[in-house]
Amino acid sequence: MSALNDVANGETDALRTVYAMTSAKLFGICLRICGERASAEDVLQTVYIKVWERAGRFDAELASPITWLATIARNSAIDWRRSDAGRVARDTLPEQAALAVADDGPRADQLLMAAESADQLRRCLGTLEERTRSCIRSAFFDGATYAELAERENIPLGTMKSWIRRGLLRLKDCLGDG
Amino acid sequence: MDNHLTPEEERDALAAELALGLLEGQARADAMRLSLSDPGFAALVAAWEVKLSPLHGEWEAAAPPDAVWDAIASRLPERRQPSVTSMETRLRRWQAGALASGAIAAALAFALFFLPAPVPGPAAPQLAVARIESDAGGPLVLARYDQSNGLMQLRIEGIAPGSLAPELWIIPDGGAPVSLGQIGRAERAEMTMPPPHRLLITEGATLAITMEPVSKTPHQAPSGSPVAAGKIITI
Repeated sequence: MSALNDVANGETDALRTVYAMTSAKLFGICLRICGERASAEDVLQTVYIKVWERAGRFDAELASPITWLATIARNSAIDWRRSDAGRVARDTLPEQAALAVADDGPRADQLLMAAESADQLRRCLGTLEERTRSCIRSAFFDGATYAELAERENIPLGTMKSWIRRGLLRLKDCLGDG
Repeated sequence: MDNHLTPEEERDALAAELALGLLEGQARADAMRLSLSDPGFAALVAAWEVKLSPLHGEWEAAAPPDAVWDAIASRLPERRQPSVTSMETRLRRWQAGALASGAIAAALAFALFFLPAPVPGPAAPQLAVARIESDAGGPLVLARYDQSNGLMQLRIEGIAPGSLAPELWIIPDGGAPVSLGQIGRAERAEMTMPPPHRLLITEGATLAITMEPVSKTPHQAPSGSPVAAGKIITI
């Protein structure tokens, strides 16, 4: 997507193109993590303003364009969720149950990603204990915090931290460095 | 918190926690501050983002309402104000007509039908095309530029006879004209762009033709008004 290069050159038309190609994906991310449409729309706006401002820093050697964009969207949605406004908004939302954890099966648009690294990550997540894996996935997809996960699993916070930290380090070993 | 981790593992686990977004409150603020002040730690966080990135393939897409784009567009700066040279001012008058008149379709048709197909290559835009025209019956030059080999091909019509030679210029959006050399009056011409000039051939830059004294080397600046101009589009 060399359109990102054009965005970096300050071309608003190029940003329009990037938006047309990616906004449904990124809105899906914001919607899932924010949990409600109005905030997800606000966050999506800030995502593309960040893309506009940061496109010059996109490095194709480090990440694919869609990974780079998805990471900005996810981090922005999590920023919102951790903000005061996000906490207030979420307190008034129905139970988290509405946003059940994604199942472990790969989806069709997994094809967007390098299939090989996706397979490897899935295999390595598969070596973790089921509960740990499900908590890591919920942190990724729902933006859940340690405290929320501990409450959901009904275990002490320290235990949850220990599970996940060990799980993540195991995951890293399995994936190998790099 | 976890007695069994080495300091190095602690640091890596913290990076993973920040990347995954598990932290909140003070712990999150501290980790973010560390990431801003310690490039080594920031690199660990980025590495975790990459490790987890295959999961991005699983999000359920959802179409945002149109109002979101409108709000984004309203926050972007106006089209960058060019450092207006007299040449550019004149160019903009010409372009108004050229852009409105199906120039893009014509340039595409030129690229697709009149010239050989490009060699398949990476997904980046391979081709740039432009329809360089005047507003009334003057020169018409179709340009096709292949990013993969730096070759600019031109189809040239309607250059008036005389002692002056047509010279091709590229004008980056907001920048000063740069000569790509003289192109002659033959029906077709080809030139290989030197690498520094290749960077200028981007979507929205303008190609223009002026009539200049014959010269083997490109002029520093145009001496007169363009006789034709058109915007580049990339494919």
